[in-house]
Parts: sequence; structure tokens; C-alpha cells
Amino acid sequence: MANQSSLTVASEEQDDAVVLCPTGRVDGTNVTILQGAVRERLEASQVRLVFDLVELNYISSAGLRVLLMAARDLQAQGGKAVFCNLSEQIRQVFEITGFDKILSVHGNREDALAAL
Amino acid sequence: MAAPAKILVVDDEEDLELLMRQRFRRQVRRGEYDFYFAHNGREALDVLAETPDIRLVLSDINMPVMDGLTLLSQLEEIEANVSAVVVSAYGDMANIRTAMNRGAFDFVTKPIDFNDLQVTVEKTLRHIQVLEDALASRDRLVALRQELVVASQVQTSVLPAALPATEHFEVHAEMTPAREIGGDFYDFFSLDEYRMGLVIADVSDKGIPAALFTMVSRALLKAAARNHESPGACLHEVNQLVSQDNDACMFVTLFYAVLDLRDGHLRYCNGGHNPPRLICQGEVQEVPSSNDIALGIFMEHEFHDNEVVLCPGDALFLYTDGITEACNAQEEEFGEQRLDDLLSDAADAPVPDLIATVVDAVEEFAGGVAQFDDMTCLALRLNSNKPA
Repeated sequence: MANQSSLTVASEEQDDAVVLCPTGRVDGTNVTILQGAVRERLEASQVRLVFDLVELNYISSAGLRVLLMAARDLQAQGGKAVFCNLSEQIRQVFEITGFDKILSVHGNREDALAAL
Repeated sequence: MAAPAKILVVDDEEDLELLMRQRFRRQVRRGEYDFYFAHNGREALDVLAETPDIRLVLSDINMPVMDGLTLLSQLEEIEANVSAVVVSAYGDMANIRTAMNRGAFDFVTKPIDFNDLQVTVEKTLRHIQVLEDALASRDRLVALRQELVVASQVQTSVLPAALPATEHFEVHAEMTPAREIGGDFYDFFSLDEYRMGLVIADVSDKGIPAALFTMVSRALLKAAARNHESPGACLHEVNQLVSQDNDACMFVTLFYAVLDLRDGHLRYCNGGHNPPRLICQGEVQEVPSSNDIALGIFMEHEFHDNEVVLCPGDALFLYTDGITEACNAQEEEFGEQRLDDLLSDAADAPVPDLIATVVDAVEEFAGGVAQFDDMTCLALRLNSNKPA
């Protein structure tokens, strides 16, 4: 199989929430990195998450599945996942698949935090 | 507890047997080691023939009838599944090198230091265990691969057989899975004398989970297609079913259309799939979105029908994102523009050629870079309306 694509997930705390910033590409070879970053927060009972996607260049359906699971798992624990700063390419993927209708998507981080 | 490790000791000195049993008595008592003895290479081969699960041979070099070096050659020749440790006189480097070159795993020197021998035996047994585990894993992998080959055949066998072109329409599809089994599928079937169903779909993720989900989605859609005239109603039903108990959050993007050959009306519902292309008098355009969503992500969603009309000569091109997201070595994507340009250039080609043009162009673009995603295309051309 081909090499793992590059993905790092930075995180910072802001206004009682955690902002996760995935950088690079999310695809089938590395979704576990994103999954792990979410699980870590869930285990620490940090259930208000902002996904700032400004540095995300590409997301495959495997990656979308992880975002969907994150939103569901956080909600199950009384929390919420919100998304912001989608690049043109990511926004298109969200639109075509209808994820923009299911997930809480916002233009910038401020609006996203306000929607938590 | 694991079965004792069977160790064959080959030496012409009679008293070594006693010594070994004495020095390793604890291991023998605990059922860790089980010793076998032979006095020369010939006898050793006989013992191995009788006890094929011996994995470790500890052998002297100078022996009557058959010496240790010959024994090593014989073991190599019969491809015995054993690791050998040779015992040689201190400083006898020539024989030790010969033994190692004939496949010995390690050596100890005479007079035997039993502490060193014990460490060597333990180390060799660990090595044997690693080898056996690797072999067992390899066997499991071979079995798994075989299952995947069968699964791949099952998956291919449910795809519709090619249809010969008729005076009214021609349809063709091709799928190239990135792995043994894929997460894409397509389908076309006649609903009655005049109406045809067309499907293309892409399941989230790859591999076995995706393949299972494709089989389920495909079967559910085909059943729903018989129950509902409206594509939106079909997708609604399938969505309800796949959204239930969907703990893994799997989803499928699916475009389903019903073409009426009498008047070229194409009713469709696009469940979150890449917009297909309509090739209308040589002009390529996107089939407008029906503003719907992928199936499996939200049970309450109401799906809609949209409609476009195909005139005789017009074609419809459906594809999955493995085509447009195919990458080359510079990590550029093939993209929609290249696809549209190709479709425009090959607008009037017979549909199998239209698909071949696209597939070849993507392959050439990728330039041998392995692709992560399945690639699927389906094309249909309406040749003439079918009189009612």
C-alpha cells in the first residue's frame, strides 16, 4: 500500500471548548490520527469541540465518517461538535454529500464557538 | 501450558546423554524440554524422520558414520524445519564457518560450558518460536487473501452483465477497485418495457466494511426500485433502513435515476453523490443537484426527485470521486475540468469508448502512482426514443 498521508492535529483550549485543527489530508491511511484526537478529548470529558478546518486540504469519505462519529459521540455525552473555516474544496465535499445540512458548520471560529 | 520443546542431541560420546539430562533436569521435569539422542548424523536423520516435530538439533562435528557437517548439508537438502546449533572444539574456526555456511544457527565450543549452552538453547528456541509465529501468520494471511479473492468474485458477479447496444439506447460501465474488494458499485436494470434504472454509488471508507455495506445498499435499492416509481421515494426507503442501528456511521453516496425511453425523461435523486454529467449536443453540463444527502447519516431527511430530459443522441455520464480525485506523483488531482474536457471531446463516441477515454486518461495522468480510491464510470446514451 502507499504511504500514510501527512496529517497532524493541533489542539488548543478556548472559552471552555477545545479547538482541534487538523493540518494536511485526512484519508483512509490516517483517519485513526483524527479519531484518536477526538477520543482523547472524549475520555477527558471534554465534549465541546470546535473543528477548525482552515489547514485541511482534503478529506475522504473515511474522514467524513470520523467527523460524523465525533458529532454523534459528543452529542451522546451531552456535548457538541461544530465546524468552521472550511476551505473551498472541503466546503464542496460537505455540500455534495449533504454533511453541511447535518453538521453544525460556521464561517469562522468565533461563530463556531458561539454556536456551542 | 505449551508442549515441551523437542531437542535432538547428536554426539558420539555416550556420557553426554547423562550429562544433558542431569544439567537440564529442571527443564525436563517442568515439561519445558524433551530430549532425544543420536550418536551420529545417520542416526539423527532416523530420529528426525520418526519425530518430525523436533525443531532444535544440537550436534557435534566429528562423529563416525556421518559427521555433523554432512548432517547439516542433509538437513538443508531435505529442507528439515529445524534450527541447528553445532558443538565444536575451541578455536576450530574453519569447521565453525563451514557449519554456519551450511545453515547452522549458532555454535558452542568444547569443553561445553553448560551455562552458555543453556543461554544458547533458550535463544535458539525463541528464534524458532518467532519463525513459527511468522509462518503461522503467513498461512493466515494466505487464507485471508484467498477469502478476499472469493469476496471479490462475489462482488463482481453481482454487477450487471454488459448489455448489447439497441436502436434505443446503449449503456456501459467499468469499475476498478483500489483493493481486492471495493466500496463503489453501479447497477442498471429494466423496470418495465420502457423504463430503466441506473445507479452509481460510493460507500464511505474502503475494504471489507465498505464492501459489506455496498452489498446491503445495492440489494435494498434494487428492492425499493420495484416498489416506488419515484427515485426520491426509493432513496428515502433505503436511507431509513441503512440509518437504523448504524453504529459505525457508515454512509453511501448514491445517485439513482429512472430513464423513460419513450420521451427521454430522466427522473433522478442524488443522495450526496458527485453530480453526473449530461452530454447534450456535444455540450457537457452537470446534472443539477437535488439538494439531498448521503444515505445513512440522517434518518429524517426527505429526498426529492429532479428531472432532466435527454434528446436522442444525448448521453449521461456517472462517476465516482476516484476518477476526479486520482492523484499523480506531484499530488495534483485529475479534477473535474479535465473530465469535462474529455467528455466534450469524446461526446459522440460509443459509450464503451467514452468510458475507455476517461479511464485511460486518468491512468496516464496518475502515471503509475497507486490510487487509494475505487474508480467507477457508467455511461448511457439514448439513441432514439422507443415508441409507446
